[in-house]
Amino acid sequence: MSLYSYLLISIIIFTIGVYGIITQRSGIKILMCIELLLNSANLNLVAFSSYNGNATGQVFAIFSIAIAAAEAAIGFAILVALFRLKDTINLDNINILRW
Amino acid sequence: MNFTLLAPEILLTILAFVIILMGLLVNNKSKNMFGYLSAAGLLACIVYVLGNGMTDKTSYFYDSLVVDPLSQIFKLIFIIVSLIVVIASIEYFKNDRNQDEYYVLLLLSTVGMMVVASANDLISLFVGFELASMSTYVLAGFEKKNPASLEAALKYFIIGSLSSALMLFGMSLVYGMTGTTNIPAIIDYFNVTHLSAESSLGILAMIFLIAGFGFKMAIVPFHMWAPDTYEGSPSVVSALLAAGSKKMGFVAAFRVLILALVAIKVDIQYTFAILAILTMTYGNVVAISQRSIKRMLAYSSIAQAGYISLAFVVMTQMSIAGGILLALGHALMKAGAFIAVAVVGYMVLNDNKNAKNSDDIGNFAGLGKRAPITAFALFIFFLALAGIPPSAGFIGKFVLFYSITVEALTPATSWLLIVVIIAILNSALSIYYYARVIRYMYVLPSNGEKIKEPGPYVVAMVLAVIGTIGIGLYPEPFVQMAINAAHVLGV
Repeated sequence: MSLYSYLLISIIIFTIGVYGIITQRSGIKILMCIELLLNSANLNLVAFSSYNGNATGQVFAIFSIAIAAAEAAIGFAILVALFRLKDTINLDNINILRW
Repeated sequence: MNFTLLAPEILLTILAFVIILMGLLVNNKSKNMFGYLSAAGLLACIVYVLGNGMTDKTSYFYDSLVVDPLSQIFKLIFIIVSLIVVIASIEYFKNDRNQDEYYVLLLLSTVGMMVVASANDLISLFVGFELASMSTYVLAGFEKKNPASLEAALKYFIIGSLSSALMLFGMSLVYGMTGTTNIPAIIDYFNVTHLSAESSLGILAMIFLIAGFGFKMAIVPFHMWAPDTYEGSPSVVSALLAAGSKKMGFVAAFRVLILALVAIKVDIQYTFAILAILTMTYGNVVAISQRSIKRMLAYSSIAQAGYISLAFVVMTQMSIAGGILLALGHALMKAGAFIAVAVVGYMVLNDNKNAKNSDDIGNFAGLGKRAPITAFALFIFFLALAGIPPSAGFIGKFVLFYSITVEALTPATSWLLIVVIIAILNSALSIYYYARVIRYMYVLPSNGEKIKEPGPYVVAMVLAVIGTIGIGLYPEPFVQMAINAAHVLGV
């Protein structure tokens, strides 16, 4: 497969992620979409790394995978705390703060 | 290898891990000492950074971190903000049994911001950015029994991770174009190959990076999270977010965007001018109608982000120095103002245990009689935020607006004069909503007894007042520092 097809897949995944964040109302689904966004960037990095012929991009991808894991843990922790307090993680019901 | 210049980061990291371990051993009553321990560590770091002063460029870890005047001045901002916040938190989280974790997260977020300030490689920039962001997501939701705090944390988390994903995507495109993640090497590549503005991939990467940093800087149209998060979070954490975390976005933008814009030579002046004008106007206009003071401060902080991003419009050495000075002043004023709001919250809860909306403007009535030190400090911060001399806010705005006016004298860029006039009109507009709070504090009658203001809050506010007025009365060394820092960027 050429570089072009990898980039095409990555941009498709990225678009799905952005679309999901905009349309979904469930906290868990939004977390999944954030993972999609981060992973599309990882795919990009690895594809470019192979194309450029140096390993920096793969090193970057490993860093970003570790960071994405930590980020997901924090996101679920916030959602669990919110669920204990309000019995819902639907974003439509989380609306105390507005102007 | 000699790591002495990185000693503040190393010290704060070690301190954070020591506090994690000691938190397991110490009983809940004596957890207050962690606040004093963190404050001592941060104070040592300030002395150390000031002692090293504006060092020459020194790079570490295969050129992925660099210590230069720009990183030194921003490190100073982050450590001072963190110190003020820690001192106020000693009182705010006095009875919290998880306060050891609070200080750990606060110190780690400071380390993350400092890493961003000295990042010279996209990888270290991203890692530092994420360290600071993830610690502040948790800090924003630290009052886990308070639905507003958790909602603030959730909104901040979603928008923050979206922004870091956008930033990572932009970085992957930059890496794809250049084959390296080292920032000076990227600039060299662009300079050698003369990759021009027509490169659509380059423009796409720039848009992603601007969006990623813009969310942290809270410039319009990436500002939606800021008012909610600042209002819902504990006041001391809002102080950290507005004063520290926002400046992290600016230092990252100074490092990457300015260098890349100089190299790619995209004509991006108009874009930034429009963004800056929209940001300051939106922030000031919406701030007028707010009844919650924390939300008003959030919008005023958006407006200040608009002023600071004027530095990207002309990108002369003087304007970048002005942006850095305004960032320094804004950090002090905003941290102090949020802590003053925390004192009012303390006062309201003292009157009535179940009070809601403690930052409503009605609670500020007669504050001059009830809590004279807080009211006077808030008075100074508001005047400084409006840009009235002698204050840090005035010096920053003066240098920034002056530098743009100088550029506007050239016939080709005379449209910049309009930008300056709009910025000055905005400054005047902002006086309205600051003066409204001052009227509540000093003119309207009070509805309660005089209270004794807690010591840590007073110390934190006095530190911020001394900084604000000190820079205003004696600006030369700070202006010199900012010019040195701007010189590093080589514009």
